[in-house]
Amino acid sequence: MLKFFSKRIVQIVILLFIYVTIVYWLMEAMPGSFTDKYLMNPKITPEIRQNLAKQFGLDKPAFTRYLYYMKNFLKLDLGISFSYFPKKVSSLIFERLPRTVFLFVTATLVSYILGYNLGKRAAWRRGKILDKTATFVGIVFWTIFLPLLAIFNIWLFGVILKILPLNQFINPNVWRETNLSAQNIFLKLLLNAFIFLVVMMISLIFAQRVKTVAAKRTIVLLSAVVTLSVSIILWTSTGLGIYALDIILHMVLPVFTLTLYSFAGSMLVMRDTMLEVVREDYVVTAKAKGLPDRVVRDKHAARNALLPLITNFVISLGFTLSGGIITETMFSWPGLGRAYLEALNSQDTPLLIGLLVFTGIFVLLAHLIADVLYAFLDPRIRY
Amino acid sequence: MLLSVKNLKMHYKTKMGYVRAVDSISFDLDSGEGLGIVGESGCGKTSVSMTILRLLPDNAEFKGGEVLFDNGNGEPVNLVSLAESEMRRYRWKGISMIFQAAMNSLNPVYKVGDQIVEAIQNHFPDTPTDVAKKKVAELFRLVGLDPTRMEQYPHQYSGGMKQRAVIAMALSCDPRIIIADEPTTALDVIVQDRILREIRAIQKKLNMAMIYISHDIAVIAEVSDRIAVMYAGKFVELADSVTIFKRPMHPYTYGLMHAFPSVTGKKVDLVTIPGEPPDLLAPPRGCRFYPRCPKGDKLCEEKDPEYVEVDKGHFLACHHPVQPGEVVQFNAE
Repeated sequence: MLKFFSKRIVQIVILLFIYVTIVYWLMEAMPGSFTDKYLMNPKITPEIRQNLAKQFGLDKPAFTRYLYYMKNFLKLDLGISFSYFPKKVSSLIFERLPRTVFLFVTATLVSYILGYNLGKRAAWRRGKILDKTATFVGIVFWTIFLPLLAIFNIWLFGVILKILPLNQFINPNVWRETNLSAQNIFLKLLLNAFIFLVVMMISLIFAQRVKTVAAKRTIVLLSAVVTLSVSIILWTSTGLGIYALDIILHMVLPVFTLTLYSFAGSMLVMRDTMLEVVREDYVVTAKAKGLPDRVVRDKHAARNALLPLITNFVISLGFTLSGGIITETMFSWPGLGRAYLEALNSQDTPLLIGLLVFTGIFVLLAHLIADVLYAFLDPRIRY
Repeated sequence: MLLSVKNLKMHYKTKMGYVRAVDSISFDLDSGEGLGIVGESGCGKTSVSMTILRLLPDNAEFKGGEVLFDNGNGEPVNLVSLAESEMRRYRWKGISMIFQAAMNSLNPVYKVGDQIVEAIQNHFPDTPTDVAKKKVAELFRLVGLDPTRMEQYPHQYSGGMKQRAVIAMALSCDPRIIIADEPTTALDVIVQDRILREIRAIQKKLNMAMIYISHDIAVIAEVSDRIAVMYAGKFVELADSVTIFKRPMHPYTYGLMHAFPSVTGKKVDLVTIPGEPPDLLAPPRGCRFYPRCPKGDKLCEEKDPEYVEVDKGHFLACHHPVQPGEVVQFNAE
């Protein structure tokens, strides 16, 4: 186990360096530079531009700059943003990270839970009405043009039905009276969600040990209700509830849109593996043992079909940190995805590289976590 | 009578039509008895057992007949007409099964012991886990496994051990009948022989009824009191083992009996039955063995022979039974 981990970590470090190098040279190969942006600006003379380039080190040869970058990278310094000068890239990332994480992790989680449940049921009753509807609807939304779906949802829920906010992540009217920062609330929400997930994990593990389906369900439901109500009481008693609610209301539409758009991915993976698993002899054995249909489906079939889905899930969690450029733009959500677009438009190379490197680190880590989870879920896999 | 199957019919629906996998099968089974069902691959042996336990795929259609099971309190129940939730109670506790592919009938992600405990607690929900585990340990010793292996996963077992674990699992709810579908096919001959002997000993010890299903007549002979010979979805002959071996009456049975060499007996020419089993989508109009039968004539082509008791306990479906001392010449190609 330890040997496997040390080997994987060395691999990850090597991969990361290769990745950073590739990202760096790709950005270098992009036409134009930060100073070219001011080419058409009559107030900025060529001398000023030259000065600017010198200050940002753009006058040095590319390879020298690469070495500088790598040196700083080793010191965990991602540099200073050009367009947000003199803010550091890392502080920019960490400012936007909680918003992106909260939105996209929620959306991914919801979409995978939906996909898992639908896929499992569709395969179990193959060719029946649920299978056909779920597959059809899923594929329609999977192939739809995402901005169109986003605009449609904004139009329907925000304009026609007027039940959900149109865009942004907070309602300024609510926040005017307070000097609380939204960042603060976001971090608290994240912590709350994390505690909720941990409690649910523990209750799920605990539920595995009890016998009847009813008891399992009671344990899971009870722990969910208790944690939720405790967090609601805490939020309302501190008077922060209204701000948290505001943020959550703003999240509903993007989460809904993303789920609709992407649940088919996980559903089809689940359906396919499940269709293979239900043909396995141990599923017939489980049925022959006289187990109820649901136990056979969930405990024996779905549990084995879960493995590829878990890998997909963990890896897509890694990618959630890059946010979604389209989603964040459509919903004016100031997360990392928007930061990408802004950095690209303003030729802010340090920010752009920083964002890509940051995503890369998390995707690599997600792979490692997927490996660990695999060993945990499948007793045949041991490192 | 513990189990009484009457005119059982089950067909698979396919795009090309119905595959008549189980076509009017009838037999009785007494407690403590071992019944062997022998036949070529694809003749419907496994389908018979799956129909009795109602573990059929979606495209299977039940076409008639009865499966009367006596669960010990008087009135036999017809398993065919039970609701699915009722049927569940009879699976494993009434009739359990040792599956064809023991290698794959254990779920790879659960400990072997836990899978057996699951079966016990499913049928006896009040059993505390430690009591159930004790029972599993006992069963493990009975089938010749080290009880400490209960805590291991299936992939840590060898093929023979998995087979033993599957047998232990089949015994876990004290069933009245065990259906063993090719219980030893994946094992080498030595392990196969040992496990067969053990199954037979356990069966006699616990006085359970067993149905053995195999294509291997030697395996069947070792463990059965009576043998049914199955051909193309039908039973063609059923009699006690000695009769089947010494005095087969159906030409197909005769062919089977002469198709393997005897180690101790005198040297004889081995028989090969020419041709192939019929397509069950469109079986021959008359006797299903007619196209391959050296004794077949006009009558066999036209009329399907009835499955009747020709002698006490000897059932046969043939227009022209093989007479004692008769030598049937199969013209091998």
